[in-house]
Amino acid sequence: MLRSRISAILATAAAALGVAACGSSSNTTSSSTKSTTKVTSATINGAGSTLAAPIYMQWASNLNSQGLTVNYSPVGSGTGIADLESGTVDFAGSDPPLAAADIAVLKKKGTAVQFPLAFGAITVSYNLPGVPTGLKLNGKVIGDIFDGAVTKWNSPEITALNPGAKLPATAITVVHRSDSSGTTAGFTEFVAAYNPTFAKKIGTGKLVPWPNGEVGAAKNAGVAAAVKQTAGAIGYVEQAYALQNGFTYAAVANKAGKYILPSIANTSAAAVGLKVPSNLGLVAINSPNPAAYPIVSQTFIMTYQDPCKAGASSSAAKGVHDFLNYALTSGESELGQGSNQLPYAPLPADLIAKDKAQLATLTCNGAPL
Amino acid sequence: MEAHTPVIGGGRSTLERSPLARLPDRILKWGLLGISAAVLVLIVYFFIRLIGQSTLAFNRFGVFGFVFHNRWVPSRLEFGAAAMVFGTVVTSAIALIIGVPVAVATALYLTELCPRRARGPLTILVDLLAAVPSVVYGLWGVYVLIPKLKPAEQWFADSFSFIPWVGGHVAGPSVFIAGLILAIMILPIVSAISREVISTVPAEHKEAALALGATRWEMIKMAILPYSRPGITGGAMLGLGRALGETIAVVLVIGDDPAIPHSIFGQGYSLAAVIAAEFGEGSNQSIYRSALLACGLVLFVLTLLVNGFARGYVLRGERKMFGGGSRWRRGGGGAGDEPAEAAIGV
Amino acid sequence: MTELPRISAGRRRKDKIMRGLLAAATGVALVPLVLIIYYLVYKGIGQWSGQLFTTDPNGNFLGYPGGIRSAILGTIEIVALATVIAVPLGIAVALYLVEYGKKSFYANVVRYFIDVMTGVPSIVFGLFIYIVLIVSHLGGNFTAWKGSVALALLMLPIVARSAEVVLNLVPGSLREAALALGAPRWRVITRVVLPTAASGLLTGSLLAIARGAGETAPLIFTVGSANGLAFNLSQQMNTLPTQIFTDITSPRNAIVARAWGAALTLVALVLILNLIARAAQRRSRLA
Repeated sequence: MLRSRISAILATAAAALGVAACGSSSNTTSSSTKSTTKVTSATINGAGSTLAAPIYMQWASNLNSQGLTVNYSPVGSGTGIADLESGTVDFAGSDPPLAAADIAVLKKKGTAVQFPLAFGAITVSYNLPGVPTGLKLNGKVIGDIFDGAVTKWNSPEITALNPGAKLPATAITVVHRSDSSGTTAGFTEFVAAYNPTFAKKIGTGKLVPWPNGEVGAAKNAGVAAAVKQTAGAIGYVEQAYALQNGFTYAAVANKAGKYILPSIANTSAAAVGLKVPSNLGLVAINSPNPAAYPIVSQTFIMTYQDPCKAGASSSAAKGVHDFLNYALTSGESELGQGSNQLPYAPLPADLIAKDKAQLATLTCNGAPL
Repeated sequence: MEAHTPVIGGGRSTLERSPLARLPDRILKWGLLGISAAVLVLIVYFFIRLIGQSTLAFNRFGVFGFVFHNRWVPSRLEFGAAAMVFGTVVTSAIALIIGVPVAVATALYLTELCPRRARGPLTILVDLLAAVPSVVYGLWGVYVLIPKLKPAEQWFADSFSFIPWVGGHVAGPSVFIAGLILAIMILPIVSAISREVISTVPAEHKEAALALGATRWEMIKMAILPYSRPGITGGAMLGLGRALGETIAVVLVIGDDPAIPHSIFGQGYSLAAVIAAEFGEGSNQSIYRSALLACGLVLFVLTLLVNGFARGYVLRGERKMFGGGSRWRRGGGGAGDEPAEAAIGV
Repeated sequence: MTELPRISAGRRRKDKIMRGLLAAATGVALVPLVLIIYYLVYKGIGQWSGQLFTTDPNGNFLGYPGGIRSAILGTIEIVALATVIAVPLGIAVALYLVEYGKKSFYANVVRYFIDVMTGVPSIVFGLFIYIVLIVSHLGGNFTAWKGSVALALLMLPIVARSAEVVLNLVPGSLREAALALGAPRWRVITRVVLPTAASGLLTGSLLAIARGAGETAPLIFTVGSANGLAFNLSQQMNTLPTQIFTDITSPRNAIVARAWGAALTLVALVLILNLIARAAQRRSRLA
């Protein structure tokens, strides 16, 4: 009797959940996407950059209703590339372009290609109640803060740049990325150009030896959470995360010496006049453009020119192609400063054209996709 | 008159079944034997593979160098796991110091002093702590325990800063909080085993003590505790084994800092936590992955030793109780007799 | 008649104090449970809505972050497969130990190894499966069924131990009666022993399922992550524990709130399984 009672309970529970499953399939597609491109029904897996994760997750959410399932794990640019190398994902998201070492490893399975897809501003966000957005900082001072040379908010280096500001005597809690991160790579590249001590002690790259006594957090979201929870904290996070959490961030001096507060406009300015190499591996950090914010990071999606030869199924290869196609047509229109758009700078038209040209060269075992 | 069973062809009695009819029995027996052998082989195989994957790290850094060298710098591919070993040991020690006395006291109360009607519900409540998933403990720890305890911890750190390992700024996530949550998590195991052990104290011992005029507490002290000590020790060690391996709750509250903290309110790491936190990172660089798997091996060996030792202790207690014959020799039963207790890992 | 000496005031006081301390300790032991359930309900029940259970996490950066439907279904699927693997195998091992192995050396070795397995941290099971199945790219990369295998490894010793206990409680006289009536051994097992032990076996299985449903560590290296619904077990899938784990470290309040709702769901699921299991245990014919 107990057995039948239990099976009755389990059956009802299963039925209830089954009803919920077959119930309304709801996907909150943003109203600005009217994608007319047909996409194949497939499932593709990607991993990598947390800087660009909000973009890819949004695109994935829009494509889900059309049958293309894109699973993207924001694990950091370093792990993304490593996953692509080991074959666990179909595409990788990475902020730094492919390094020679990466190309060599990926060569074992085929030619790797990279598609720049957006630009994001890396803000220097701080949690100082009473101090508004716009604290002026330059590369030298930022480097001193992050390598531990400057330890208090009211120290002379910071007050010298901000004569009118009322800075408290609190200790600075530095938050950095603990995982292999493209955001770290962009940030350290900027700082190292202005602070030789930082360049020597800490250097540049996705994973650097930060000094002891700082807080390490994984992913952009982790750094954002740490800055949010600790008064007196400073950390580098992509602008989308800073805006999402209402952070106050610094106005950073660019190459021309002007203090720029990051916005979509001056992020796009960093993309103007960029030198674009033939493999599209451009770098937007420390742009010479006087109107540009200096810490702008590019972000790529990387995959193989022939994914099938590298081991992917033909439906996965087609899925990657269609995902990139969507990105370059409707996807770019979802980025910008509109209230419905994600706060990233979209690609200028000439870059989109170059990307589309490269997309056309994708094949599956020789046959064009 | 001689009675004998009728015989059919081949000298077989009719009561004996034909070889063909005995086949299903044979299949069943050897099938079950095969399955249990397969489980054995699987465990040994995994152990060997784990060792194999860790050799790269052990060769590069030396076994002693890896375990006792405090230098975990992934960007330079240098790995010495002393900070993790320290964190594992310290959080487990805190868990034992806080958790075992409370668990034993709870067990004593529930078996000896509790009013009969309340016994059942209260026991179920204490055991329910074991049913809460580890990730929920982590969520509760991060958003309830850490913020609520921070003022008290800061007061304690400031007032008692003359004690070593206490003092300094309390950031929030800490080795102490991890130890506290572990204490809560091992409470049901230790309490369940202690209850089992205490309930098997022979009534004559207790009655004798009471008859000699002992108060209830004195009876507990004289008759119950000495008798149950090996069993309770075994239970505490099983709790220790659980605390050593707990991952998710710890990685969320310990602060994930590969350094030996200056106070128990500082951030640290544990062997299980570093694997969970850095696995995505390291899974694709062979030396990094090997270092993480070596941490897993050290953890595995530690828990094996502690659990092996613990079961020996619990058995010794049972041998005392049942007079000869271990659980394994008797074939099942003993502490952890209820299926429910088997499920919480007793 | 001699009077027994009165218990001194000091001893009586000490007795009272110690008994009070023991009662207080029990109270202290219950405080975390009360607090956990209180906060789970307080922060989680507000999240329980139709939307939570009928939408998937959508990864939207702004606006509603989605519900946990794919997580619930993923947990059900993965745990179901793990149960299908672990329960028959666990009962089989226990059957061998009780019916055939008994006190032999080999059976003791098997018992020892099963005991060892109960003490292995769950993350080590995840590592095992990672080394054997993921690194070798056997059968795909991160897939749901590999997570099920890792969970099955975790659940097997629980099922085996509780099944052994229950099967031992089946009276030998029942077996002997069946054998005396001429039933072959396998018939005795399938028609007499297993049915008699059925509700106890069910208890053990339900508790193993409850344990498996709540585990995160074996899944994070084996299943990968997904937001949308996935029914195919050879794909990456979302699960409740991994969803909660990811949401805990998010800076967005809406996502942390969703984590509380998901945690309440998971705890409700686990508690219901536990309570059914204990009810079955109490009703068992063998207890």
